[in-house]
Amino acid sequence: MTAFIIRRLLYMFPIVVGVLLVTFTLFTLIGGDISQQIAGKNADAETIAEIRHEYGLDKPLFWSWDSQFVNHFKKALFFDFGRAMDRERISAKILRGIVPSLMLTVPMFIGEIIAAVSLALIIAYVRGTIWDVSAVVICVAGMSIPYLSFIIFGQYFFAYKLDWFPIIYLPEEPMIKSVGLPILIGILASLGGELRFYRTIMLDEMRNDYVRTAFAKGLSTTRVLFKHVLKNAMIPIITNVVLTIPHLILGSFLLERFFGIPGLGYLMIEAIGARDFFVINAMTFIFSLLIVIFTLLADICYAFVDPRISLK
Amino acid sequence: MRQTKAYLIICCILAAVWGCEKRKTAADGEMVICRPMISKVQTLDPTNTRDIYSALVVSQMCEQLYVYHYLKRPYQLIPLLAESMPAISDDGMTYTIRIKQGIRFQDDPCFPDGKGRELKASDFVYAFKRLANAKYASQNWSIFDDRIVGLNDFREYSKGFRKEWDVDYSRPVEGVQALDDYTLQIKLTRPWPQILELALNDYCTSPVPFEAVQYYGVDIVSHPVGTGPYRLKTWQRSSYIELEKNLNWRGELYPSEGEPEDQADGLLADAGKPVPFADRIIFRIIEEDQPNWLLFMRGKLDVMYIPKDNFDKVMMPDKKQLASFMQDQQIKLTIFNDPSTFWVGFNMKDPVLGPNLPLRKAISRAIDRQKYIDILFNGRVQVAHGLVSPGLNSYDPNMADYGYSKFDLNEARALLKEAEAIYGKPIPKLTLAMPGTDTLPKQMGQLLQRMLEQAGIQIQVDYMDFPTYMEKQNKGQCQMFISGVSASCPDAMDFLEMFASKYFAPGSNKFFYSNPEFDALYEQVAVMQDSPERLAWYRKLEHMILDDYPAAFMTHRITFYLGHDWYKNYKPFVFGYGVLKYHRVDVEQREQFFNRNYSLKKEGK
Repeated sequence: MTAFIIRRLLYMFPIVVGVLLVTFTLFTLIGGDISQQIAGKNADAETIAEIRHEYGLDKPLFWSWDSQFVNHFKKALFFDFGRAMDRERISAKILRGIVPSLMLTVPMFIGEIIAAVSLALIIAYVRGTIWDVSAVVICVAGMSIPYLSFIIFGQYFFAYKLDWFPIIYLPEEPMIKSVGLPILIGILASLGGELRFYRTIMLDEMRNDYVRTAFAKGLSTTRVLFKHVLKNAMIPIITNVVLTIPHLILGSFLLERFFGIPGLGYLMIEAIGARDFFVINAMTFIFSLLIVIFTLLADICYAFVDPRISLK
Repeated sequence: MRQTKAYLIICCILAAVWGCEKRKTAADGEMVICRPMISKVQTLDPTNTRDIYSALVVSQMCEQLYVYHYLKRPYQLIPLLAESMPAISDDGMTYTIRIKQGIRFQDDPCFPDGKGRELKASDFVYAFKRLANAKYASQNWSIFDDRIVGLNDFREYSKGFRKEWDVDYSRPVEGVQALDDYTLQIKLTRPWPQILELALNDYCTSPVPFEAVQYYGVDIVSHPVGTGPYRLKTWQRSSYIELEKNLNWRGELYPSEGEPEDQADGLLADAGKPVPFADRIIFRIIEEDQPNWLLFMRGKLDVMYIPKDNFDKVMMPDKKQLASFMQDQQIKLTIFNDPSTFWVGFNMKDPVLGPNLPLRKAISRAIDRQKYIDILFNGRVQVAHGLVSPGLNSYDPNMADYGYSKFDLNEARALLKEAEAIYGKPIPKLTLAMPGTDTLPKQMGQLLQRMLEQAGIQIQVDYMDFPTYMEKQNKGQCQMFISGVSASCPDAMDFLEMFASKYFAPGSNKFFYSNPEFDALYEQVAVMQDSPERLAWYRKLEHMILDDYPAAFMTHRITFYLGHDWYKNYKPFVFGYGVLKYHRVDVEQREQFFNRNYSLKKEGK
């Protein structure tokens, strides 16, 4: 297994360099020059030139030891992303955004997994009945409603009409109160899709002989479902769960924006709106790094969950 | 069973914490102003502040030499950090300004003992030099370019350094000198009658102590150290800004004079009382309309704009009064002209549009501005009949009579034929650069396309993000473009300036409009002091522009502003931002609103 991990870690390097190259090329060549934007509407050529110099935009793009790409690569290697367009350190922005994002996404994720997997097991157990059909119809309906509608309706109804939650994130209140509603909305909005996904997995398992055998031997439904079926359905669940974790760190774009939660999702949306490529580049790099690391983790987890899998 | 019990206990505790919380009341009668902010604040460094959101926050903490009187109209400049109005030499080239004594910067760790030191004239000298420092690259430099003796030389000198703080600020600049601790002298390269309005009343000349810039370096953007009534307590970027009273502030009294109707409007009820009234000011940064609106209706925001989608619901059909359900909640509406002009601009360097006056005129005639306003803006803007907007000193109320913004399809078609004769063949499809890719820009583009089509003019709309648009505009790559400007002072000179050829883009003349006759007259008028004669010249200059149609002027903005009844002393103030010190919240009245809402909620209504 050690050899496998080392090999995979070595694979990471060209992948990350590739990501850096692609994002840099995209943002630099297609995105154009942002110095005019930083310098202001009526800035003179000198001020624009000064900004270009300050942000290193006057250096060659690729073919030099001091090129923009080499500097970008060096900075990424040491997680020193420099300053954003508003002159704040990008690392400070990211560090500040991680906690609010995780406060929102981790409970949302856990709640979603528990609800979706448990309900999927139950629905799979009652497959073919009116309960199963109704659940599928509700899931499809839930998947068809835009995420934004959940947010707008949830915010209006639960926060404004019923006054159960704060309308937005209030820094003067405990964070747990402010994220309650977005968590609830996040779980409800994504439950449909998740439930359908896990239901399909569970149904595949429920049709296997060992389930019939377990019931025939007189095991209780709870024991069969949660001990045997769930365990055997773990591979796709782990894939889904582990690969979702990087997204948790990135936060939730829409929820954070509508509830004014200063997380990384909001940061990313703002950066896109302002064409702050320094921030977008940093976030894309971190995200790609997390994806690569968590894909490796998922592979390692398979070996623990399923003894038939060995990592070579 | 044990597990189930544990779950139940946890649920009960959570419910108790969540639901049984005592309803919060105003903390010890503390007065807090809560305002929405629909965009993030870029910087809190006044010297580099240009956007209105940053300016709104900065202006509560930093002060400048002069400011407009809060209540008097027409707007009248009064001293703020200056002791009196400046002594101006006979040739209008030298301004000598006495600074108030005993003004202190807020306490800050940048000072040796953490105690704010006294403001000196040298702090203003430093502010001007910092503005000129090429390595600092202030967005505001264009205001001062070639205006003050020796300042451009200082800028040249600063280019030789690597970093902003490497520059030697002790190097003298002839045009900005501290004659003593409390006397500032400014020498101009040529008369600049608008210096008070455009520069000395602007937050960009607010003094920032040298110690703070040294201490915080680049991070000065988030550590404002000013002399104003408030100081920064919390800044959660993109989310929340909280200001608290600056205990070092010298104090000031609420104005006792205003317009005749101010008395009746209750704006003089606090006359002579010490300001600032509010203990804290909170800005909630939320870019979406819905949460802002819900917060306002819950009473968590004191003031609010009317979101486009809510406009028809909250206004009476006459669009002058609030709907009854809003009035029942004792919400007040203030409608006022926000001096600004928006247009469809023409690139005068473009080979199709530039030499073809009939074509530009045809485009202007083909646009039904009233329909454009009715469809897209719910009547929240008014037709622009000229360049200068209502609210500015040289605005001509009879401008509509000249017919520059007339809608006449037949005339447009006739003009198009004339235009084709000049061009020698049918006019090709024109391209309109539209900043923004949201719904409104798209609707604007489609509507203009349809209107022009009716006159036989074909256009395609190129939607783009704002930075791309700005870049293209400055490079002269936009054939036609949607743009606009907001006035920063009652003098229309900065509107007229946009058509002087010496300010070609990246300066303010994005039209690349060049008219030697206009330029010559502009140079003459630019150095004239305010007088009836100058007013006449201003209007003459405006007509010269309008006759050449470098743009089809479209609209002037009207602001609809909502405020709860407990929010006192609000008067529209369009030429500055540092007025929140005069605003007051009736804490008891706000409490009554909350109590009423709380009772209704308990009754399930």
